Amino acid sequence: MQSYATIAELVAAATTANVSLSELMIQQEVANSGSSRAAVWTAMEQNLSAMAAAVKRGSTGAGVFSKTGLTGGEAVKLKQYRATHHSLAGDVMLMAVQNAIATNEVNAAMGVVCATPTAGSSGTLPGVLFMLQQRLQLTHEQMVRFLFTAGAFGMIIANNAMIAGATGGCQAEVGSASGMAAAAAVEAAGGTPAQAAEALALALSNLLGLVCDPIAGLVELPCVKRNAIGATNALVAADMALAGLTNKIPADEVVGAMKRIGQQMPAALRETGRGGLAATPTGIKMKMRIFGEERNFES
Amino acid sequence: MTAAYKSVFDIIGPVMIGPSSSHTAGAAAIGHAARKIFRQVPRELTVRYYESFAETHRGHGTDYALVAGVLGLAPADPQVPNALALAQQQGLTVHFIEMAGTSPIEHPNTAILTLRAAQRTVTVAGCSIGGGTIEIRRITSDGFELTPTGPLPILLVWGAADNDQIIQEKLAKMTKIIRRQSYNTATKHLVEFDLERSLKQHEVASLQQHGADLVYL
Repeated sequence: MQSYATIAELVAAATTANVSLSELMIQQEVANSGSSRAAVWTAMEQNLSAMAAAVKRGSTGAGVFSKTGLTGGEAVKLKQYRATHHSLAGDVMLMAVQNAIATNEVNAAMGVVCATPTAGSSGTLPGVLFMLQQRLQLTHEQMVRFLFTAGAFGMIIANNAMIAGATGGCQAEVGSASGMAAAAAVEAAGGTPAQAAEALALALSNLLGLVCDPIAGLVELPCVKRNAIGATNALVAADMALAGLTNKIPADEVVGAMKRIGQQMPAALRETGRGGLAATPTGIKMKMRIFGEERNFES
Repeated sequence: MTAAYKSVFDIIGPVMIGPSSSHTAGAAAIGHAARKIFRQVPRELTVRYYESFAETHRGHGTDYALVAGVLGLAPADPQVPNALALAQQQGLTVHFIEMAGTSPIEHPNTAILTLRAAQRTVTVAGCSIGGGTIEIRRITSDGFELTPTGPLPILLVWGAADNDQIIQEKLAKMTKIIRRQSYNTATKHLVEFDLERSLKQHEVASLQQHGADLVYL
């Protein structure tokens, strides 16, 4: 069995066969890996557990802090704010933000996370998923399926464009994660495969051009909070798609645009820590404090 | 074109120690591939970093991740951040060099590893393409200079030509062989197979039954 090469192909296959996107992904994985369906399912359950553990760890007690002191403890701040204030965005939205930030704080603190699709963007999917668990009373099975659906779209993005900040900027990481989460949220909410593709197109379109400009080259600032945007953008996109809004530019073409933008992006804005926020006076000061002198490169 | 991402678990996963899938988990995978080709813990490891790796390896824990891979640690092993100390305990000397200019294997996340012990030197050029997935684009080992397409899995078989014929037949029943490339020196023969999907442990073991000297990446 071959992998689905485009989102259009994936959606057409699901629509024609009248099966869910997650089911197609499971079937493809079983066929391509030579593993049993039970083994494939269990492996995804283990990833789900790792994601749940990271969300919990980042939101418990005082939270977690990175070695550099640049990030940490802010998921807990949000948790306290949610408990004591009438938030502007609404509690479910902030729950997604808290889950996303908790995960990326654990990542920055060199804790265990599940890369979805990358470690830098590892908060976006759990941000959405564990909020939907409560909002939609998702079953364990639906949560595992959410990850298969997200993975099906992620594979197509990764093979047709890129998912690394060093090759495509943050649009390739948080942008891809947000698109994947939006599509999976649509399936979890009972939407059609075509709506899932629209959600991806909407979410990714909204983050096109996003650069990768980490302070001191560390996956901390602004990465942790960009996952908050990845998660909330996914929810907004999923709702728009479920309401019948369309992106007009098809999902595969949005992925193509993301690839071209990534190729046109200067190296300073692709995970080198040399441009954007990393090149601000404060960013440079932080880098000097952490690493000291500038380095000389050998040729 | 060969799809670099072959499994849903390349996208949802790996479960790993942070902070970066390409600079940490991917680096560990490059180190692990180099270790498999070298087959033992080397006495000396030199890492040459290019582009994004050269700029950000310190912040991302790329140094300890690569060494953890060379030492054979799993990506989520809590010992990963202590790999440099472990290397010292095991008598492995490590050098890191930040290279100017662009990557010779044309990817911004490039690490070229040179492993040495006694008489043997192996060089492995790998790149981390995102999400922890890697490609191996050059290998220099035992007088051979290999230039794989990049995506894993790759199976290397040393030995006589008739032996790799048997292996090729068995392999073709397990998965699609995307590319077969044979290399020769004056005295030795090596075949590289680029494969469609990962092999199970028992499948690799069954290939090894033919007395073949093989490395599965």
